Amino acid sequence: MEYLMYEQMERYLAGKMVADEKAAFEALLQTDLRLAERLKEHRTLLNTMQQYGQRQELRGKLNAFHTEMETENSSQQTPKWQIFWKRHAQTMAVAASVSLLSVFGTLWSVQQMKEPVKQQTAHYVELRRELDKLKRAQTAIIKDINNTTKPAPRPASVSGTGFALSANGYLVTSSHVVEGADSIMIENTSGAKYKVSEVYRDQVHDLSILKVEDAGFAGFSKLPYTFKTTESDLGEMVYTLGYPREDIVFGEGSLSSTSGFQGDTTAYQISIPLNPGNSGGPLLDDKGNLIGVISGKQAGQEGAAFAIKSAYLLQLISELPLATTLSPVSLPKANTLAGNSRPQQLKKLKDFVFVVKVYN
Amino acid sequence: MKKGLYETDEAIIEGIRFGDDRALAHLYKLHFPMISHFILSNSGTDDEAKDIYQEGVIVFYEKVKSDSLELTCQIKTYLYSVCRRLWLKKLAEKGRFATKMDDAENYLMLEDDVPQQEENERRFGVMEDAMNQLGEPCKTLLEDYYIRMQNMQDITDRFGYTNTDTAKNQKYKCLQRLKKLFFTAYQATV
Repeated sequence: MEYLMYEQMERYLAGKMVADEKAAFEALLQTDLRLAERLKEHRTLLNTMQQYGQRQELRGKLNAFHTEMETENSSQQTPKWQIFWKRHAQTMAVAASVSLLSVFGTLWSVQQMKEPVKQQTAHYVELRRELDKLKRAQTAIIKDINNTTKPAPRPASVSGTGFALSANGYLVTSSHVVEGADSIMIENTSGAKYKVSEVYRDQVHDLSILKVEDAGFAGFSKLPYTFKTTESDLGEMVYTLGYPREDIVFGEGSLSSTSGFQGDTTAYQISIPLNPGNSGGPLLDDKGNLIGVISGKQAGQEGAAFAIKSAYLLQLISELPLATTLSPVSLPKANTLAGNSRPQQLKKLKDFVFVVKVYN
Repeated sequence: MKKGLYETDEAIIEGIRFGDDRALAHLYKLHFPMISHFILSNSGTDDEAKDIYQEGVIVFYEKVKSDSLELTCQIKTYLYSVCRRLWLKKLAEKGRFATKMDDAENYLMLEDDVPQQEENERRFGVMEDAMNQLGEPCKTLLEDYYIRMQNMQDITDRFGYTNTDTAKNQKYKCLQRLKKLFFTAYQATV
């Protein structure tokens, strides 16, 4: 029977053979290679089977420990949400940071986009001209080197525009131009130069009355324009003269709104491109009526400038003799500009428009 | 549970070496939370944690049993290292290459212990399949004789064979079948 052969092998493997039987079997193995091969196979099989058995037993034990442990822990079992949390904490952290980032990113970019808008709505720029400080400092140094004995006249720190109100030496300009002035000089294109002083001021409407103080002043010639008492209409052609630089500059446009900055009803909005230095300039209509005084513009928006309505200027002039001891302003009564072409009007007008230089 | 008994690693190893199941149970319960946490935080499930941990414990157990353990660190670190390696391999099999492991512990580079364990696992897997394919009563017969080392006479009585020769003959036939099943499958996977 073949199984006897296997029994023999098993006994050999288990080491149960007595010495001479073992020797005989080993001799047989030497000669019978097929038997040796079988023996090897059988040994592997048996070993595997036994180890497998042990392993199963061990597994069984471990499983028993595991269930035992689980029952022990069941009272203090971690709740479901905690397991869920542990498993997905990383993902959730990433998701949370992405959402936070996008929220703040959006907020930030929205704010960035808003900023220029804010600037557009909020800023009113007064059009007085700050003269170049650096240049001034430099020339002062050079002059200092060249001529130490005689101190040079200090150049003006601010300039604006002003125009004559009457032949007897009254002028008007924006009060922000002459604010904090020690002395004020006016000069026109024909070279006439006078020292003036501020005699009356309306802070609310940003207007200041100036008077020529020079002893040798003989009075202006006859003023060519008149002052309009009523309100002008939307869309009227208007123009101004001013000193945004050293020379007189003409600017033309139309009356684009009967109210000023942020609905201010004391001012007009006009579509004339203006620059610092234009403040205090006259605003005239086609017929040569003075309808306003240039005061400022809106920052970041070209062609939106503002002028105080002439009615407030007239009110100020009428208050002048009551508030001061000065002689009343004799306003011009005849308009010699009406019907003239624009260059003709300007030719007549420009002698009455002055650059106002403020020293402090 | 008598905690005081297995306070140190040495006590545990000694306990396991002398076949004390309580030492093994203590060890098992002591370190499972650590491995469980490791597996769960590296995209594993509770069941996977259990499997990996048991394999790790088996590696340790067999090392202790065969006296080939040269422990240069804590049991905890050893178990962690084994389980870490096993889990990396498992992840690779699943096609998920963990570029970065969320490590809670230090670990050793185990070059020889784990491959041996993997080879054994494979062999035992084949054996288990072969045994299951064998069917009854062959399976129980072989298990009783070779694994539980029962007396041939007892087996004969229990299975209702007329005499031990019949039983031995039956056992032989079963063994032949098992041998065929096992080696075909085993060689195929080598």
